[in-house]
Formats: sequence, C-alpha cells, structure tokens
Amino acid sequence: MAQTKYDAIVVGSGACGGWAAMALADAGLKVLMLEAGARIDPAQDFRHTFLYQWDYRGRGKPGLLRRYAGSERNYRIMIDNVENPYTTAPDTVYSWGRSRCLGGRTLHWARATDRMADYEFKAASRDGYGMNWAVSYADMAPYYDRVERFIGVSGAAEGLPQFPDGVFLPPMALNCAETIFTAASTALGWRSTPRRLAQLTLPHNGRPPCHYCGNCVNGCDVGAMFNPIAVTLPPALQTGHLEIRTDSIVAAIRMNRENRAQGVTYIERDTKRSVDVDASYVILAASTLENTRLLLLSAKEGLANSSGTLGQYMMDQIGGGGVTGFLPILRGGPARLDDGKMSGLTIPNFQNIDDKTQRKDFIRGYVMNATGGQTEYPQFAANVPGYGSEWKKEIKSRYVAQARVWNAGGEMLARKENFVELDPEVKDHWGIPVIKIHFTHSDNDYKLLDDFQQRAEELFRRAGGEVMPSLPTGGPVGFPGAPGSPDTNTAPVRGGGARGAESSGGRGGRAGAAGRRRPLGGSIHEVGTARMSVDPKEGVLNSFCQTHDIPNLYVFGGNAFPSTGDKHPTLTMMALTARGCDHLLEQIKGRA
Amino acid sequence: MAKTPTPADVVDRDLPTRRDLLQMAAAAMALPGAPRFFSAWFASARTVGQSGMGPMPAPPEPPLLDHYTPAFFDAEDFAALEAFTEILIPTDDTPGARDAHCAHFIDFVLQASVGVDEPTVTRWRAALRSLRAAGFHAADASGRATLVEAMSLPERDRTATHPAYAAYRLIKQQTTFAFYTSRAGIIENLDYRGARFNGSFPACEHPEHHRV
Repeated sequence: MAQTKYDAIVVGSGACGGWAAMALADAGLKVLMLEAGARIDPAQDFRHTFLYQWDYRGRGKPGLLRRYAGSERNYRIMIDNVENPYTTAPDTVYSWGRSRCLGGRTLHWARATDRMADYEFKAASRDGYGMNWAVSYADMAPYYDRVERFIGVSGAAEGLPQFPDGVFLPPMALNCAETIFTAASTALGWRSTPRRLAQLTLPHNGRPPCHYCGNCVNGCDVGAMFNPIAVTLPPALQTGHLEIRTDSIVAAIRMNRENRAQGVTYIERDTKRSVDVDASYVILAASTLENTRLLLLSAKEGLANSSGTLGQYMMDQIGGGGVTGFLPILRGGPARLDDGKMSGLTIPNFQNIDDKTQRKDFIRGYVMNATGGQTEYPQFAANVPGYGSEWKKEIKSRYVAQARVWNAGGEMLARKENFVELDPEVKDHWGIPVIKIHFTHSDNDYKLLDDFQQRAEELFRRAGGEVMPSLPTGGPVGFPGAPGSPDTNTAPVRGGGARGAESSGGRGGRAGAAGRRRPLGGSIHEVGTARMSVDPKEGVLNSFCQTHDIPNLYVFGGNAFPSTGDKHPTLTMMALTARGCDHLLEQIKGRA
Repeated sequence: MAKTPTPADVVDRDLPTRRDLLQMAAAAMALPGAPRFFSAWFASARTVGQSGMGPMPAPPEPPLLDHYTPAFFDAEDFAALEAFTEILIPTDDTPGARDAHCAHFIDFVLQASVGVDEPTVTRWRAALRSLRAAGFHAADASGRATLVEAMSLPERDRTATHPAYAAYRLIKQQTTFAFYTSRAGIIENLDYRGARFNGSFPACEHPEHHRV
C-alpha cells in the first residue's frame, strides 16, 4: 500500500546515490533514500588497529570469510555472498566486488579520482571502434570541478591533455620508493604524478586531513577520505528533506499508465515485508549491475529497453599483471611510514592518445601505478628462502625496500557478447532473481595487458628493482589452497590499489602451457549495460543519465559508460550524477 | 625473551611529536565534526607527552595466547611444532617465534577449523605425520637442526627433493604469518610505523633517490 509520496526516491547510498540525495534535498525536494544494507557507525566500525589486536589476525574465524568478501576488519562493509549470490556463464570468470551498507563501496575504495579526457570520450572517432560518449570533456568539466571542490581531491597539476587537471588540494608527498620510480619514469620519458586521491591533505569543508594511518580500506575513522557517510549525507540530512531507510531491498520499479515510474517496491531485510513507495522521480544509484538488475526485474524485456541494449556491453577495466620485488638502494634502511597514505605514483597513459602515439598492435590504453617501502605485513617473507637469524635479518632488510608496479586500469573494449541477464533459476535470500554474468576478454584486451606487463618490467628494471621470485610449493603432496597453506598464506592487503599486483612479474594474460589464455576476471570497475547514446535506438540513457524511454527515471553509476576509458570511474560517475541532477531540477523548474 | 623497545629507544622523526599534534589540532579545531577526531588525537598526544617526545607506542598485544592451552595438537606434536617454529624464527637480539606464541596461534586457528575447514585440518595432520616420519619428534636439538636444513633444501636448489619439504613449507608459511602479525614481529622486529595518528607523511629527502 503506497504511503507518502516523495519528490524523488534514490535507490542506493554510494558515491552516486549520496551525491544525488544531497543535490536534490539541497534544492528542496523531498527525498527518500533506500539502502539495501545496514547503517554504519564510523565511530564503532572504523577504528584503526594492528593485526595482532584481532584474534585471527585479520583473517576472521575459519569459515567466516567464505561468506563475506574482505577481511576480519572490514567484512561488515562488504556483502554477504550467501544471501546475495550471482551466477556466471560457463566460460566466464568474474568476481563481482560489492558492498551492501550505507555508503557502499566508497567506504573502502582506493580513492583514485582522475578525470577522463576527450581522447577517451571520443575514442571511437579516433580509432573507429565502438561508440563515442554522448558527452564531451567540455560538458563534463564544470561537473568535475564541482565534485572535486566539494569532496576534496589531493593532486598535482601536470598540464597533460590525456590526464586533465582538476581542482586540487596539495598532493600527497612521495616516499622514497615513489621518488625512485619517478626518476625511472622520467628517464624513460614517461610523465608521472602523485596519485590523485579523494583524500584530504588539508582541512576541507569541515573535515580533518588524513592522519596517515593507512587504514583507508577498512573505513576512514575521521572522514578524511571521501565517502557519503562523511561527506554528502550529513549536509543532505541537515536540509531536513532527506529520509534514509536502510535494510530496504528494492525489488522492482513500478510504472503507471502514462509510462512513468510510479515508485518502487522494496522488501524489508529482516521481516521480508513488501513495501510500496511512490515518487515523482525514481533514481537508481545502487551500483552498475544492481541498477541493471532492477531494470531487468521491472518489466518482461527489461524496463526502458526499447533499444534492446539493456544488459549489453558490460565492461570492467583490465587489471592483473604487475611486478613486485625490491629496490636494492633501500635495503637495510631505517623504518619509515611508507604506507600511511595508501597511495603511490601514477603514470598516465601515453599511448594511443593521438595519431603520433597510435600503436599498430592494439587500441586504447592503461594507467600504471607504483609504490614501495614498508607495508603492514611482509607478504614476501615466506618466499625468501631459508630461516633462522640470518633470514630474519634478510626480511627486515627487504621490508623497507619493497616495491611494486601495478596496473591501475586498462581499457577493456565494449562488446555486445558481454552482458548480464536474470538467472531463470537462482534467487537471492529474499526471493529476487539474481543476475547471470557473461564476460570474456578480447584479443585487444590481452594485447593491452601484455604491453602493460612489458612496460611495468621496463620501469622496474630502470628503477634498479630486483624481482621477487616464487618458490616451489612442495609438489603433488603439497598443501595448496586454503588459508594456512603454502604459498597462499597472506595477510589481508591494505594497499590502496594493490589489486591485481602479482608476484614474480607474472604475465597477466599470456597463454599458459596448454596454449589457452588465462581469464582476466574483473577489477571492481564494472561499467556499461545501459549505455548512453544520442540516438535512443543505440542505448538506454541519454547524456544526462535519464532513460530515453521514461522521463522520470534516471540511472546513476557506471551504467552509462559506452567505454571504460583508462581512468578509475568513480569521479566520472559522480560528475555524471551531478550533471543529471541539474537536468532533473531544470525539468522541474521548467514545469513550474 | 628479548627486551621490548620503549619509545625512547627509537630515534624517530617521522611520527608526530606532541607539539605537532597540538599545532595541527589548534588549526582545525574550529571545524565542525572535528571534536571526535581530535579527542582521539589528543589521547595520542597525551600518550606522547607522558613518554617524552618519542613516537606514539603501539598498544600491547591482547593476552589471548599468553595462557593458551593447545587444543588441536597433542602434547608431543605441539612440542615438536613449537621447536620447529623456534628453529625457523629464533629468539636472538629480537624476539622469535616462541616469544610471539607462533605455535599457539597455529593451534588456535586449527582448533577453530575443525568441522569448518577440514582440508586445512587434514593438511596439518599430514604435515605433522610427515615431520614425525622424518624423525623430527625423536631427534635432539642438533638432529632437528640438521633435519630442517635438509627439509629446506628444495627452496634453494630446485633439483633437490625431500619427503617433508611440503610440511616445511606449510609450517614456514604459517609461522611467518603468525610471527609478522604479532606485536613481537611487526613492531619489535620490523618497527612498522602505520596504524597510528601521524601528523604528516614523511616525504623522501634523499637526493640520491631523485636519479637512476
């Protein structure tokens, strides 16, 4: 039974949902935010701790982390995989990183905040592949400005067209390893810059600066990094126009006879009671694939799907590859706070950005990251041969000299055959059909990753790095696999962006012994499945992330992306949200 | 047991002094939302103040393993495991595996794995059988040292083999984890600087790092 009618319902409370709620509530709209997960209390949940303060040293009681992603420290801000399954096609290897809680994935994100450039928005015009975005950099720039100014982004202006500068707080300082990688990068003729991060280096908009504890991926205890519960939701609530209901799982969008969204139906997480709420506007901001799932759940062939493209062109940036090892010049040095900012160095893409840099063997590009020095846990230690006092000294000597280069994100090509659909058989804990993911990589994707790997090794060598070899596991009578077993025994990684870094300079996508390429999986930057288009026949959304078919239905997140680009997507998602909210408010104003 | 370093033992220019904390706090105290943050920071500043101008000390390790009675391994296997871990990471001028209760931690995890993670339980039972078959349990200190030397050889010589190499790797992996996630390992041995309130991030100040 429908109750109060709201001006807008915002489904989801992550980076985009938080911004939309703030923008609309600030404009005086009566907004209801529905979040599927629980409320989070930073004071309780986000204390920084040492691993030895946890009974299981961060791994959780045996069995716990089969149910949850993450670690003993942060599984509460991840998702219960048992209650929330998804399925994959037989040829698909894809790990869908998710959160279900107030604030979403930004509670533990890597904070990388890079603007996309025109060479990405207009890539199809340059190389002929895929579809251009329905927006240009000029369209996006004011919204990038607005988001950066509000959330606070530390970074350095570089004047590189492929890596547009923004509104920056002072950059994070570089540690010794990053300084050496800067020198190596310069020697190779590659420009580099401190990673641009939504992490404060100065007090900003009522929030204190980073105190360099390195706990970012477990939730920031002071709101020095951007997330909605520290940044966008407090001012939204202060307007008095925002109501937040957590533990409310939206199951469908309801339509009226005029082909307008009437509201949504949600299920109360604990009671499983079904509740209808109505609104003049429905805004999906529940994360890319959850948004698409909701559109698929809401009509037989999918809601707002006159183009027939809903669910198609799923992409995720290409991760994997990388080099880990040591910088001999740092060995045996003094202990330093190297991982306190959880950051590093960025080397922006420098290939396929114009005619002069166009490669013949692959299109599009990637961004490299590098860092080094102390980490909370010496992941390398058990792979150093030997034992005893000399081994201990060796571990200590190498501990401060650790180094790694990783793939921050490579552009994955959009392909129609990568898509999501509703699984006809599997339902979640609340009886809602789950999505099935069909996802493989193209030849170009593998070539791009191979090129990254070669460049990463080149950078590592130029820095004087020594690659860490792996050790034999013990043969067929060994103990592979589970926690506590040889060569898989790692502590939870705290690194900002360590995802995808592999030891031993492993070739991310190269053919294995059997000649088959290893599946590349995902890298938590899933986009597409409801792409934006100028022509309604070619996509689900227009340039404002409004559905072509239903004027009062907006979809914020990565859905609109016609291509991944090589930048981390969150800032662009937020800027699209800011732009879409402006459009929505102008529509209301126009009607008044 | 090796002496636990006090803050005064550590020459530190990277961690904030009380003055750093107070200056930063004074600059930002007027900001809304700051009081909760700075109450934590002030608590740290008070700790620093009590210990002179050194770094904020890491908290003590909870007493979970101090009086822990092994519940997974029998007495003989536990004694063998503990001796093995101490050979791997001995107490010298810094704490070792015994100080860090590595064998206790391994037992603690395994007793919680029974019925939940049987493959891991099975692997560890097999490892201890393998160790016993190699003669480790019955050997004296010198014999044990010789055995571990032989068991570890495939790490350095890829043509070498040993029937208990897999057991060696398993115990080394878990002992390494147990040790370097303990206070003895991460703080007293490696002097890890994170997970605290820091006034600033230490930029590289070495001219030699600016060229390759």
